[in-house]
Formats: sequence, structure tokens, C-alpha cells
Amino acid sequence: MRIDIEKCVGCGRCVSYCPVGAIQIFRDEENPKKKKSRIDEDECVECGVCLRAQVCKPQAIYLPELNWPRVVRRAFSDPMVEHKETGVPGRGTEEMKTNEVTGRFKKGSWGMAVEVGRPGAGGRLKDLETIAMALAEKGIVFEPRNPVTFLFEDVKTGKLKPELKNEKVLSAIIEFEVKPDQLKGVLQALKDISKKVDTVFSVDLISFPAEGEKGPALKVAKQLGFPVYPNGKVNLGLGRVLNK
Amino acid sequence: MTHTLHRTGDIESLKEDFPMLTHVARGFNDIGAGERLKQMAKIARKYTELNFGDCKVANQFTMPPEEIMGKHTVGWQVVFNDKKSLIACMKELKEKNIGISVVVSGLFDEVFECCQKAGINPPLIEFALGIHGNEDKIWPPEILDFVTMCGHGLVSGHLVKKMVEDIKKKKVTVRKAAIELARPCLCGAFNPHRAAKLLKEMTQ
Repeated sequence: MRIDIEKCVGCGRCVSYCPVGAIQIFRDEENPKKKKSRIDEDECVECGVCLRAQVCKPQAIYLPELNWPRVVRRAFSDPMVEHKETGVPGRGTEEMKTNEVTGRFKKGSWGMAVEVGRPGAGGRLKDLETIAMALAEKGIVFEPRNPVTFLFEDVKTGKLKPELKNEKVLSAIIEFEVKPDQLKGVLQALKDISKKVDTVFSVDLISFPAEGEKGPALKVAKQLGFPVYPNGKVNLGLGRVLNK
Repeated sequence: MTHTLHRTGDIESLKEDFPMLTHVARGFNDIGAGERLKQMAKIARKYTELNFGDCKVANQFTMPPEEIMGKHTVGWQVVFNDKKSLIACMKELKEKNIGISVVVSGLFDEVFECCQKAGINPPLIEFALGIHGNEDKIWPPEILDFVTMCGHGLVSGHLVKKMVEDIKKKKVTVRKAAIELARPCLCGAFNPHRAAKLLKEMTQ
């Protein structure tokens, strides 16, 4: 996002809407009595919140044309943008939301996700690469339909396309399936990597109600010091195949 | 993906926070799904008017609900603050058997109780295993409770602080501040009822 300095009246109403704090107020060099707002382009994740907030009366905020690799920021930060590779708006896939229809996750393994930059911090894709490479070393296979997978130069190692490393996004999700013999290694790798990244990440685990909190996956997670929130997502199983 | 997971807060506050989402399964039930999603949205909105949205379109604070309903392609979100309405909605969605997937988030004990009362046997669940990494980068808990109500991260912690300041200066009411916080969350998963309660606690 950008602010047209000529139109900006320096009211500052846009500043608090930015989730990553990228909008700053400064004194106009030509007229020090006047204030203006500007967007730190390196920090901006192109989420569009400032524009959609409609708080800028002179309409100084605008979305410029974004080219590769910057366009990746918007694709991962603005849920209104649909990833052309997946057709899914936002950052991930349908995952457990439609599992009763798709049968994607089956008993005997678990779905996992690592959400880089969440909650509310945002993150550079180099942190995503650090996490992805650590997971790849544990033998996991990245979900082929997840938009993150399209960012890898080498999908087997989790190595990113080099030009993407410094791009900042609101969040990006690494999705994969974990088999019982991989679980402990994967969770331990996430514990170890947490000291090596500059941002935060949230960890998700998809399981079956019959396993619940007493299941082997959460038992291992708890042993390794992962907190298990008392709240989460429950698929009600109301979907079915309708396309003919 | 997991935009209604990872909501933080104390148990009492989370007892009034149940986002519900619908999502089509691409390649399985997406053809002509718009009308089905609309039917389901009309059912859900009979039981809750707290919030409603579609992340590809808008939420009810930025676009009239009828207009949003005419634009559904993959799904919608609503939010409940009481189990009675949630159970009634679940029951009707089950009875109408429209065929699009529905996910409810919230305290597992509470959601499972609602499922049981609605005669629903959930096939799959998703757990949140915490926040890791450089925790210096995240907002303090009292702000995080608001920020995590939008899983896409569109509700700014700076805006939460601004609303708290504005309420204290009597520039805005608690209710209006809660709605202002709900506006950036396109999906409609943000709970303005819960936000108003949290704002009230922070400004008293």
C-alpha cells in the first residue's frame, strides 16, 4: 500500500488500523508545520486493511501495481485475494473443514500446520524457510495444494526461491501430514527451531474425536511441553458430495 | 486455513464465543454452491445477528447481509455467544441437510455438549498447540484476546489500544468501539459481543 503525499493531510486516522504498525507520521520537509503519513514499504504486508478501513477522507491511500516477488505479500496477507494455484482465499487449504467430504485426513496419521507470523506479528519468509527446512529434515511432505508449497525452490528440502526470503507477510501456513513414527521428531524440531526464528508461529494438530486429549499425538505434544488449548475447531460432519 | 483456531482468553470469556463457518469442498460440492450457502446463511442468521461475513466479500458492518449472501462462493462465517442459539442452529442445519460442511469453534467441552444436544457426531477436530518462537513480537494477553478473534490477523493491536483510549476519553461508546474492531475482520468471525465485554473490563 502507498500514501499519496500530495493528498495526505496528516490526520493520522489510518495509523492505528495497520496490523503491523507500518504507518508512520512525519513532518513535511518543505513545510515543517505540516504532518504527513507514510507507509514503511519494507514493513507493509499489503493486507489492504488501511484502504478498506475507509478512514482517509482525501483518499490518499492506494494500492499500487505489485510485481513479483512483492505480490506474494498481498497473496498471503489479504484474504480477499485468491491464490491462483489453489483457488482458496487466504493462506491455506480447506484442510479439516471439509474432511467428511474429501476424506483427506485418515485415521492412523495426523494433519499438522505451522502458521508463521500468527498471531498478529507477521513474519519474513526466511523464517518460514527455516521452519520448513527443519521439518523437511524429519521427512515430512508439504501439502501440494497449499500456496506455501509453490514458494519453494526445492519442495523436498523446503528451500525457498531466493528472491522471496525478505518478503514479509501477515502469516503463511505450512501444512503437512504426520505419521506416528514422525510425530515426536517433528514436534521436537518445532521446539528447537522456536529459538532460531525472528517471529512467532502457531502450531495446529488435526485429530479424531475418538482420540481426543487422551490420544497419542497430544500425549507426545504435552510431554514435549506444547500447551493444548481448551478450545479449537470441530467439524460437524454435515457435508456430502453434491457435484454430479 | 485455521482462521477460527487459536483464540486466546480466559475460560469465562471463551464461554461466550462460538464462531461457525461453512466451506464448500472443491471438486465435490462446489457447483451451484452459492444458493446452498445462502440457504444455510439464512438459517444461521435466524439464531444470531452478532456478526456475519464472507472473507471474499465483506462482513455485516461493511456491507448489508443480504448483499453478502448474494455473493457467496466458498463459505461464510457467523458467531454465537450462547449455546442455546448454537444448538438450535445446529439442529436446523442438520435437519435441512443441505450438504455443505460446517465447522464450529469454541471450548471443546461446550461444543461437544452442543453437538450431543443437536444429535451431531463430529468426525474431526483441530487442536491449537500454542504460540512459539520470538514471543517478544506478540501483543500482551489483554490485546491478544482481541487480535486472535480475527484469524487472518486483520484486527490491529494498535486499533485495540486506540479504542481503549477513545473509550476512556469518552470519544466513543464501548459498543461502537467493538464494532469498529469487528470491521477489518472480513470473515465475520470476530465476536463484537465478547469484544464489548473485554473493552468494558479494560476501561472501567
